[in-house]
Amino acid sequence: MIKVSDPVLIIGAGVAGMTAAVELADSGIKTVLVEKLSTTGGNALNLYKAFPTDDCFYCFEGNRWRPGIRKCFYRSALTEQPNIDLRMNSQVEEITGAAGKFSIKLDIGPQYVDPKKCTMCGLCIEKSKAFSLVSPQCQPQAVSFDPEIEDEGTAVAAEKCPTKAINLEAKGTKITINVSDIIIATGYHEMKPVNVDEYGYGTHPNIITQLELAQILDPLGETKGTLLKPSDGKPAKHVMMVQCVGSRDENYYPYCSKICCVYALKHAAILTQEREGVDVSVVYMDIRTYDRHEKYYRDTREAGVEFVRGRVASIEPQKDDSLAIIVYDSLLDKYLKFSVDLFVLSSALEPSPGSSQIIESLGLKSASGFIGATNPETEVVVGNRIYACGSALGPSEVPESVTQARAVVSKILQNRK
Amino acid sequence: MTETDETTGPPVTLIDAIDMSKLDPKFREKIKSMPNGEALAACFACSTCTAACPTANMWKFKPHQLIRMILLGMREEVLSSNEIWLCLTCYECQERCPQKVRVTDIFFDCKNLAAEEGNIPANVLALAKELLTKGQLYTVTADWEREDMGLEPEVPGLSVEAIKRILKDTRTKKLVGGEE
Repeated sequence: MIKVSDPVLIIGAGVAGMTAAVELADSGIKTVLVEKLSTTGGNALNLYKAFPTDDCFYCFEGNRWRPGIRKCFYRSALTEQPNIDLRMNSQVEEITGAAGKFSIKLDIGPQYVDPKKCTMCGLCIEKSKAFSLVSPQCQPQAVSFDPEIEDEGTAVAAEKCPTKAINLEAKGTKITINVSDIIIATGYHEMKPVNVDEYGYGTHPNIITQLELAQILDPLGETKGTLLKPSDGKPAKHVMMVQCVGSRDENYYPYCSKICCVYALKHAAILTQEREGVDVSVVYMDIRTYDRHEKYYRDTREAGVEFVRGRVASIEPQKDDSLAIIVYDSLLDKYLKFSVDLFVLSSALEPSPGSSQIIESLGLKSASGFIGATNPETEVVVGNRIYACGSALGPSEVPESVTQARAVVSKILQNRK
Repeated sequence: MTETDETTGPPVTLIDAIDMSKLDPKFREKIKSMPNGEALAACFACSTCTAACPTANMWKFKPHQLIRMILLGMREEVLSSNEIWLCLTCYECQERCPQKVRVTDIFFDCKNLAAEEGNIPANVLALAKELLTKGQLYTVTADWEREDMGLEPEVPGLSVEAIKRILKDTRTKKLVGGEE
């Protein structure tokens, strides 16, 4: 018999995992939220602006219904909600036991910086390269420490920390916990398209992916939001994007990655409307701005983004650092030659690295490598007391991940008396 | 990695690509600024216009391709094309366009621009001259159909002189020239 108080394991603290954790916790259920990185937020944290509201995703529209709590409540809830046990830099090592009484072996990473004490004053970052701030929005709100690049300033930094938040002696631990239910929220990974030869990714610094472009556009990033070429740090004026790189391709991933059209056009909109003197061409097979996201397509056409239906024929790096790109325009049945400063690949979204292992060890269904539902009518139920939400089920937008996380919470609550 | 030797890789000799830098990026804006061009950029090349067109089958550039060419800045090709003059102006394309692009009217704008550059097909030019000199395009001579219907053979009240006078001050006159 499952008791209300039985804890739930959530793997992955991206949009879906965070939502599930907070909502379960608010319903009085203990949750253990395990994240392998040093900040929560997953891919959404790296998207600069997330569609459909173009907000930083923490302030996503969907959270507004909670009166009296500031919009970005997830941030504080993750560390302050007593029912959430947030485990950063940690991984699930082994899952044994039957449904309802799973036994989970966790590899907990060392906590060098105590987020409850850290004020993010930046003193340690000045003293030593081993300390860094992943993002001012990072959660938990604390600097990260990388022992691999420890230098002479590291000890001084620890010493001088005004709140004594740094413990260089911290060690990782292994613990075993018992949970009744498991939620898989391991998200997606953007494929590095090194194998798709025709696009030359990895052969020229100005050939990048959409998530890499998002980092350039982010005001908090290295270029402070200015569109600069990675090759020489000079402004990029002509941008070309190409859709379906590795998606809808039987040689890579047969499925449509679903959200890349929308975020590519979100980036095209930012470039043409919020940056000066940048023009954008988008080479596509089909533009799939499904549902209400058609607005991005219409708006970018209005803004003068050039859409070329066809495929790239050749890419030739030029002496002046530009790329001469020939595109076959299948509507005109002509070849067009462009001079491009930045070539952005909308690369396929693939299952995160741990997905196949989880599928195998728990005996789950696979849907092109993502977690498959046991019954198509209940998408989030993937096993006996095992659930999945967000992009672990396949590429999803932020609102969809939130909705699926809530569906999981609802399923778990229905099972308890 | 930043090696920019242009001789790397075989030259693309088989592809005769249109050099985008040689096209006219202002052409799109020009058409957009004309009375019917407002929705031009909304085109997403679905080719509904071509499907609707009763004569595009005969055309080298189909209607959707002409719109694409305008968007790309292929001014020369569009304004010298025969197709804009072959349009029957039946408005089927414009009627069906899902993005409210005024396709037929945009072709009128193109015809006007082409005419400004003296780019008018001989047959159209001949018609314009006929209109300027005779004040009407088709001279109705004793028509048996009119007779059959019990009407007088001459069309009454057709004031070609007044029309000729008006046409003298029109843009058509300026473009076509002809005798004073």
